[in-house]
Amino acid sequence: MIPDPEKFLTILNRAAVEYVVIGGVAMVAHGSARATFDLDVCYNRSKENIEKLCRALERLHPRLRGAPKNLPFRFDPKTVAAGLNFTLATDSGDLDLLGEVAGLGFYHAVYKSSALRHVGKISCRVLSLDGLYRAKSAAGRDKDLEALKEIKGLKDLKERLGEE
Amino acid sequence: MTPKQRKLAYELITNPPHGSDIAAAKEYGIDLTLLVENLDLTVTQRLRKLYSVATFLQKVRQGNGAGR
Repeated sequence: MIPDPEKFLTILNRAAVEYVVIGGVAMVAHGSARATFDLDVCYNRSKENIEKLCRALERLHPRLRGAPKNLPFRFDPKTVAAGLNFTLATDSGDLDLLGEVAGLGFYHAVYKSSALRHVGKISCRVLSLDGLYRAKSAAGRDKDLEALKEIKGLKDLKERLGEE
Repeated sequence: MTPKQRKLAYELITNPPHGSDIAAAKEYGIDLTLLVENLDLTVTQRLRKLYSVATFLQKVRQGNGAGR
């Protein structure tokens, strides 16, 4: 289920969670025409941030997406600290939490390759087109080939139009 | 986008510079008109459009599933 990006990001912002929007939603923020059905964010794995993240998402009842319903899972700081990347279903939509992004690294490297964007009444960090290109290249999936062509074309178009 | 940028954008996607990434994307089959349409929107408008389209597609999927 697609989450409403504005609502979800507002929840993260209110809890002062440190994150960067990556993946399909970041691509759309840059102008991509691709549809996506989940929200991907890279989060800071500091102890404090993991606690904020867990508190913020608690009321959305995060659970492992696609996992058997009887599989025990508790979304708490201990679980998040012991893991890295999580594909979650929540009451408000699907959310992928990445502690590390292929081709870029951990939160601070991803942050460096991001910029502040305004979405409705909030601001959030969004991965750059260059960052998205590196991440999708590193993922090396067949389905990303089209995205890579689109990213490069979009970047070229924006540069020629004098838009960043 | 300003009217000038919009005009340039349509020129660029109609006749992309030879060897450019715009040309490569067009040759690959990327619909560049959709990109220009999106560049004409704010980031907020782009994300609201995504949510609207994805919600609609999901309903279509669910409808197809229910009919089987």
